[in-house]
Amino acid sequence: MKKYSQETIVGIFVLIGILCVGYLTIKLGKMELLGSDYYHISATFDNVAGLKPDSSVQMAGVEIGRVQSISLNTKDYVAVVKMKIKKKVPIQEDAIASVKTSGLIGDKYISIQPGGSEELLGDGGVITDTESAIDIESLISKYVFGSVKK
Amino acid sequence: MNQETAAGSGSFVNFLNLLGQFTLKLIGELGAVAIFFVHGFSLIFSYPFQFGKVVQQVYFIGVKSFLIISLIGLFTGMVLGLQGYYTLVKFGSEGMLGAAVALSLIRELGPVLTALMIIGRAGSSIAAEIGIMRISEQIDALDTMDINPMRFLVSPRIAASVITFPLLTALFDVIGIIGGYLTGVLLLGVNSGIFFNRIYDSVVAKDINGGFIKSLVFALIVSTICCYQGYFTHMRPGGFGAKGVSLSTTSAVVISCVLVLVLDYVLTSFLL
Amino acid sequence: MAQPFIEFKDVSKSFGSLHVLDRVNLKIYSGEITSIIGKSGVGKSVLLKHIIGLLKPDAGQILINGKPLSEFTRSEWRDFKRSLSYMFQSNALFDSLTVFENIALPLVERTNLPSGQISEKVDFRIQQFELLEVQDRYPSQISGGMQKRVALARALVTEPAMILFDEPTTGLDPLRKNAVLNMIAHYQHEIGFTGVMVSHDIPDVFFISNRVAIIENRKIPFQGTPLELEQSDDEIVWQFIHGHEVLQDQLTGLNSKPEVEKLLSSLISSASSGDSVSAAALFTIDDIDKIKEGVGYIASQRIFQCLAMILKGLLDAKEYAARLGSGEILAVFPDSQLDRAEEVIRCLSERCSMEELMDPAKYKKVCIDFAIKAGTVEVDGSMDLTALIARAREKQKVIAKMECKGVADRK
Repeated sequence: MKKYSQETIVGIFVLIGILCVGYLTIKLGKMELLGSDYYHISATFDNVAGLKPDSSVQMAGVEIGRVQSISLNTKDYVAVVKMKIKKKVPIQEDAIASVKTSGLIGDKYISIQPGGSEELLGDGGVITDTESAIDIESLISKYVFGSVKK
Repeated sequence: MNQETAAGSGSFVNFLNLLGQFTLKLIGELGAVAIFFVHGFSLIFSYPFQFGKVVQQVYFIGVKSFLIISLIGLFTGMVLGLQGYYTLVKFGSEGMLGAAVALSLIRELGPVLTALMIIGRAGSSIAAEIGIMRISEQIDALDTMDINPMRFLVSPRIAASVITFPLLTALFDVIGIIGGYLTGVLLLGVNSGIFFNRIYDSVVAKDINGGFIKSLVFALIVSTICCYQGYFTHMRPGGFGAKGVSLSTTSAVVISCVLVLVLDYVLTSFLL
Repeated sequence: MAQPFIEFKDVSKSFGSLHVLDRVNLKIYSGEITSIIGKSGVGKSVLLKHIIGLLKPDAGQILINGKPLSEFTRSEWRDFKRSLSYMFQSNALFDSLTVFENIALPLVERTNLPSGQISEKVDFRIQQFELLEVQDRYPSQISGGMQKRVALARALVTEPAMILFDEPTTGLDPLRKNAVLNMIAHYQHEIGFTGVMVSHDIPDVFFISNRVAIIENRKIPFQGTPLELEQSDDEIVWQFIHGHEVLQDQLTGLNSKPEVEKLLSSLISSASSGDSVSAAALFTIDDIDKIKEGVGYIASQRIFQCLAMILKGLLDAKEYAARLGSGEILAVFPDSQLDRAEEVIRCLSERCSMEELMDPAKYKKVCIDFAIKAGTVEVDGSMDLTALIARAREKQKVIAKMECKGVADRK
């Protein structure tokens, strides 16, 4: 059997290590290599309770992007959600963004319903039409205390 | 009556005295370690670079720990898979298993267990090796040859630790996830697609970066402590020669382990 | 004399409550080998470690070319240190490196030589020190003597201007010891380095030393050339030079030479003032050098020991005997007449003839005739010590004889 030199063995070791690091950062950490495949849009919501940075952005149940940051606009007291959307998914100017929950107690995500406009949103575009998160607790309490209008 | 209070306050003063002594000693030691670290770390970048020695240390610290880290990683992942499954299945959300395994590995267990294993395998021998070099005058010999012992002995070990800790941590994480897959998917029948998709959905860059920051900090701490304990074996009160080396090795391992766990808590609370 | 290369000025050093050096003054001249001798644990190594800066003096100064070490700038100190090699008492070889790597280390780390040139230099030293077979082994796998040679090779490989040897010959067999000392002397002549050597190997080191310093009781009571050393009549110095004879004298029960000489001088002075009369006798093995050459050192020493022991057995408590030269014993009989000395000689003569060592059958291979001679002298104050001994030597007669009849023709 051929004996490998110490340098070679170290080389193999480092390679395996880097492969593992690569798997973790790129595949799991969704690190963006070589430029960006995404463009950025934002939307304002009245309430985004439960939504977190890196939550998924979906269209028709298919993930098309991720939430980048959530901040509060202190002028109007509304939540500003910045999202990155895959470049190959065009989003119309009149698309509707809404905060949804997967299942009853699952994670919050943003669902975008396509609009009919010819105009497409570019980088930095803003979705104006939004629906806020449904507050299940208040919904339930309203139901329980009977103040839900039939 | 009066005498009693006097004695009481006397012993209290005594206690304060001891506490003060202890604190001063601790601060002095911390300062010494910090200077030692800065000195050793800065010499990594002194010309000419000691590639050969770093490679040698990577071989010693990294390659030789490869198998044990893989083994520990595998079994940790497998046991996480088992435990996680039986807990999650009660809530009917065994689909979360992948996320549970991956997150606990990447955030906590990967960096910490890897650091602990390397302390046991390589840290102890670093302390012992440098300690023996100290007591057999080899460090003095380096000094007389005008070879900086810090540069010659300590810097390559710190550099090699900084290289190997994150790599071994990544290895641990990946093999751990495979271990979780083995028990969760192959043994207990969780859907393989759900398992991995849950991992992809739940793990975010912040988790991974946090894990690597931890492993880098552990690398610096462990290599510095182990080198420091060995390097100053001769200053150790109450132990000379072989006894001194054994005490240095013990305290290198104990202090490193304790610091890793304490710092893990501190880092986690900062990173979250 | 010229300005010393290194000078210790009132250097004191203590470790905790243990005082090792107390206002020591020492001069080391450039291009010379200076030996520092002294008993174990008197601080010889400490002295050396001060030169190389491993230890700092508590008080006093170390001057290098007249400049105090404490005033050296960093780069000056570095240059000075680069011109030094230090050979540790414990060898301090790197046990995780092979012999070859050990010798090469100072060159690899300190110079920018290409690796071909380095291995050439190292190979040269390896050959010189007969380390060829072990060059790929680790220090723990080779014998102590070999380790010593590796350490010496490592010290020499950088061709330093000054080498500090901390017991370079301890633990070597006599042949290698001579070889090492020889090599040090040889390179000293060739390269002209300044050597400082700590050693126990007396008198071997005297042959290669230009200067000798004795350290004793935290001070340096003597420093000078080996010649001056031999001439010195200081008690400590004498003990050092005649260390091996002292051991033998203790084995045979003889008194030390200065002790007997002092006694005899006092007897002479008291005799000259007319107080008392004493006698002395001089015993010689004739010729001990021939025995040493022909039969061997051990045999010559055995014969001497035998004579000394018989003699000691015949003397009473206040009578003294001491080794004078290599084959001579001087016995002093205070307050006695010559008859007492004659009586001792007579008894000695009888006893000697009964000894095994005087039997020619013992010497089967090499046999050399020898005789034991004795002469007496009266201590009457008219002669001084030297004259007294010369007089006794003149009056010597053969009192016992060993002849190699029969065995001789086999030779």
